Amino acid sequence: MRVRNENGSVGGHRLMAVGATVLVLAGLGTVAVGLWGNSPPPQPPTALTTPTPYPVPGSPVASPVTPAKLTPARLALSASVPTRLVIPAIGVDSHLIRLGLNPDGTVQVPPLALHSPAGWYQHSPTPGQIGPAVILGHVDTYSQRSVFYRLGDMRPGDHIAVTRADHKVAVFTVDRIGDYPKADFPQLQVYGNTSTAQLRLITCGGDYDAATGHYLNNIVIYATLTSTHPA
Amino acid sequence: MLKKSAFIAVPALALFAAVAAASPAMAASTSTSYQATLAPINGSHASGTVVVTVAGGQATVTEKVTGLAATFGGKPYPHVQHIHVGGKGVCPTTAADTSKDGVISTTEGAPFYGGIGTTLSTSGDVSPAAGTTLTVAPAGSTFTYQRTFPLNAVTLASLQAGTAVVVVHGLDPATLSAAAQKEKSDLVPSLPLAATSPALCGTLVASQVGMPVGGAQTGGGGTSTGPNLGLLGLGGGLFVAAAGTLVARRKMARN
Repeated sequence: MRVRNENGSVGGHRLMAVGATVLVLAGLGTVAVGLWGNSPPPQPPTALTTPTPYPVPGSPVASPVTPAKLTPARLALSASVPTRLVIPAIGVDSHLIRLGLNPDGTVQVPPLALHSPAGWYQHSPTPGQIGPAVILGHVDTYSQRSVFYRLGDMRPGDHIAVTRADHKVAVFTVDRIGDYPKADFPQLQVYGNTSTAQLRLITCGGDYDAATGHYLNNIVIYATLTSTHPA
Repeated sequence: MLKKSAFIAVPALALFAAVAAASPAMAASTSTSYQATLAPINGSHASGTVVVTVAGGQATVTEKVTGLAATFGGKPYPHVQHIHVGGKGVCPTTAADTSKDGVISTTEGAPFYGGIGTTLSTSGDVSPAAGTTLTVAPAGSTFTYQRTFPLNAVTLASLQAGTAVVVVHGLDPATLSAAAQKEKSDLVPSLPLAATSPALCGTLVASQVGMPVGGAQTGGGGTSTGPNLGLLGLGGGLFVAAAGTLVARRKMARN
């Protein structure tokens, strides 16, 4: 394969060698993206998401939803709109948009576009306030991974940092993970009142129904405010 | 190339900013929810949850109950249910049983939870007039109830005052004392006492979240099917092209 200098077409040879190298690299890259970019999103193990029955007041099992580490009420912050979400454990760093309700009463989701950010549900408390603050993000778009692609990889003990407009950062610690059929979404368990500052991260999970264009489940991360610091 | 992508990126960003800014405006302006955990009374062993979301004069009620009496005369047991208003906003204790027959009747409970403000019927009338219409009552031991209807002023006022109470009626007669089993209903004399007595009760309290209905559509499905076969094919094509280039190069070298 040695190219002699006196060969008149040495430039052509070199060009072809470079071209072949480029083609091989492009091929490797394309295959890598094809394999990596579209592997199905991670799902939480069922051992972690086994549903706990909703507590019946007066019964002896009235407190399974209460997180192990109760936040003192004094840790809670006053209202301030969240602007940024950072989850080191799954490589998330997203600015936050505001989400409301659709006319049919379902919750709005961020635009289904590339690099779509996560969004804070504006009819929930702001993160750091007493109550369950709700942040939603897509698991994927029509073709690519999205901001909450790896939400199913989160585990109890992981940290979630939310920066607010008042330049305070509310740091939450994951208590547990829920995996629910959308058809039987536990509205009160996810969105119901809490006595501490809580966070709910929501994305899609389970099987994808190509007929409706929707995933069948929702993955919900339950977290409790454990510290705050200046941004 | 750089110029071109910057040219595309600017309007794309502007569009995105416009969409993001428009999102809150598209949302319903206000959404207030009230929630109740339903507790058994009269020894019903039932349980349940209720969420009432009020937006634009309409109330959407989502209720899940389980463990109620299943059948009545061989048919699914109709459980009339209401939002009671204008009382103390609490569920009755056993002290409410002034007749001492072991059953808190609807009338005995009234000083605690008040009168009917809204009937949670399955269709048609939701006024107090439909309060004992068995044909529009949800039926069976376990049911999910969801309905949206115009909310009347008295129920709204009671919700806002924290005195609205959801009561689900209808007990299994077998759980009553022999004497109570023979009693007639205090509301509908043609029915036994068990049929109209409270089985579940819960005070509606203001929710910290304006409750969305159902789950969230947070995916496009693009990664649901595993590896992207199109990209794999394209990659394979690039390898073939590389091999072809090398073969051509070798040929050229021989010449």
